[in-house]
Amino acid sequence: MTRPSPKDIKAIAAVAGLPVDDEVAARIATSIGPGFDGFAAVAGTLPFDLEPATFTRVQTAKVAP
Amino acid sequence: MSVTEPALLSLTEVAQAIAQKRVSSREVTQCCLDRIAEWQPRLNAFMSIEADEALAAADAADKALSAGKSSGVLHGVPLAHKDMYYDAGKVVTCGSKIRRDWVATTTATSLQRLKDAGTVRLGALQMSEFAYGPTGHNAHYGPVHNPWVLDHVTGGSSSGSGSAVAARLTFAALGSDTGGSIRMPAHFCGVTGLKTTVGRISRAGAMPLSQSLDTVGPLARTVEDCALLLGLMAGADPEDPTCIGGELPDYAEATRQPIKGLTVGIPSAFYVDDLDPEIARVLDETRATLTVEGVRFVQVELPDQRQLTAACQLVLAVEAAAFHKRWMIERPQDYGPQVLMRLQNGLAIPAISYLEALRWRGPALAAYVAATSGVDALLAPVAPVAAPTIAESDVGNSLDAEAVIQRLTRFTRPVNYLGLPSLTVPSGFTKGGLPVGMQLIGASFDEAVLLRIGATFQRATDFHTRRPELT
Repeated sequence: MTRPSPKDIKAIAAVAGLPVDDEVAARIATSIGPGFDGFAAVAGTLPFDLEPATFTRVQTAKVAP
Repeated sequence: MSVTEPALLSLTEVAQAIAQKRVSSREVTQCCLDRIAEWQPRLNAFMSIEADEALAAADAADKALSAGKSSGVLHGVPLAHKDMYYDAGKVVTCGSKIRRDWVATTTATSLQRLKDAGTVRLGALQMSEFAYGPTGHNAHYGPVHNPWVLDHVTGGSSSGSGSAVAARLTFAALGSDTGGSIRMPAHFCGVTGLKTTVGRISRAGAMPLSQSLDTVGPLARTVEDCALLLGLMAGADPEDPTCIGGELPDYAEATRQPIKGLTVGIPSAFYVDDLDPEIARVLDETRATLTVEGVRFVQVELPDQRQLTAACQLVLAVEAAAFHKRWMIERPQDYGPQVLMRLQNGLAIPAISYLEALRWRGPALAAYVAATSGVDALLAPVAPVAAPTIAESDVGNSLDAEAVIQRLTRFTRPVNYLGLPSLTVPSGFTKGGLPVGMQLIGASFDEAVLLRIGATFQRATDFHTRRPELT
């Protein structure tokens, strides 16, 4: 997963219906870049058959008495 | 303790004192109002103070009690809560300009359950705008001040809750925790805070920030008080089907259970990295105290927590932006600069990245459960530092603002991403007189073991009984 550039962000924000100027796009890129970097090792590795309810199933598997 | 100044009692103590008619609800309420009048000009902890209504409600509670009618275990106890819990007929600002005059038409389930137990409303407490900020700054209503050292922040977003509970202006307060918003103010202000498991307390009628991460919980003076409030609020709610039903543990009883033989994990990395020396010292002292009380400590190697903080950031940013999109189009000028900046972050995250971050939540929790097998809870700092000054944390929408926020909340966000419960207990003080709290992180829905450990710790220490003085 590659962190989006300010140019990418301008395009995505425009599609989302909230266009941003160059300064805001640059600030967003700086802000969320670490989030993309931190998640990069996970992105694209999740198995196809990952049940949507996995989180709830794991969460409730061991309920305290 | 004497009831000559009932505001200094704990929630549990004052509820018993009122029930036993050793003090009236009016006396208690007036005492709180007197303290609020003294402290509010220094703290800015209250969004609104409803003195006349509170006294009228207290009189009604006293009259009912005289007639042998009690509403519940909190009959006549005055409380104030974070101003994001909808209360039908009341203005609920959510700390914002946009909702400055908005009147709720429904009442939050959590709040209603406390009302049903007999509480009296003192007013509403300050908060970060739309609960989106960890410091306690608010561009519209000003920062909330830390009662221990007034030019320091309280932490956010439950800033007024932390400040008001610490200064003994309310016996307890509802907060909310999406990325650390209960634990951070509890740590910075020296109070007890319980971030509950996602699904433990209904979120119906609580202002949303992130549907995947939001949790409701109390800030109070003692673990015992948090247990009382959790017992009143937890459980199924038809208005929030994501809230888990079934039989609930006896949380009050849990606080009386011995902890000898429990095993607590200390993470080998991440939560112990780059700590301020005073935080590291308090962590060591907390561990030593719990060891004396019979806890066995083991080192735990957790999966990479940085990936969890990153996933949390992606999920939170997108969900917050989606909630706010209409106002971001129609009223962008009515947001504070930092909140608008953070909401705009969510615009730039593609749907595929957001959904991957959500899909990974199950495997990530499974990996965490495997890594903590055999451990009853983890002990970790809430933040790497004690409360910074208001000036140094006023980063607004500067280029590095998000980085500052992310650094401050790096120990809280993994817990939100995994949906786990976490109890913050006052655990010491810095040499400069600022409180330091530690968090006990538990397994999903096992708040009881956290309350058990935390209550024992509070019986062995006095940090939670210390209170700031007005100078």
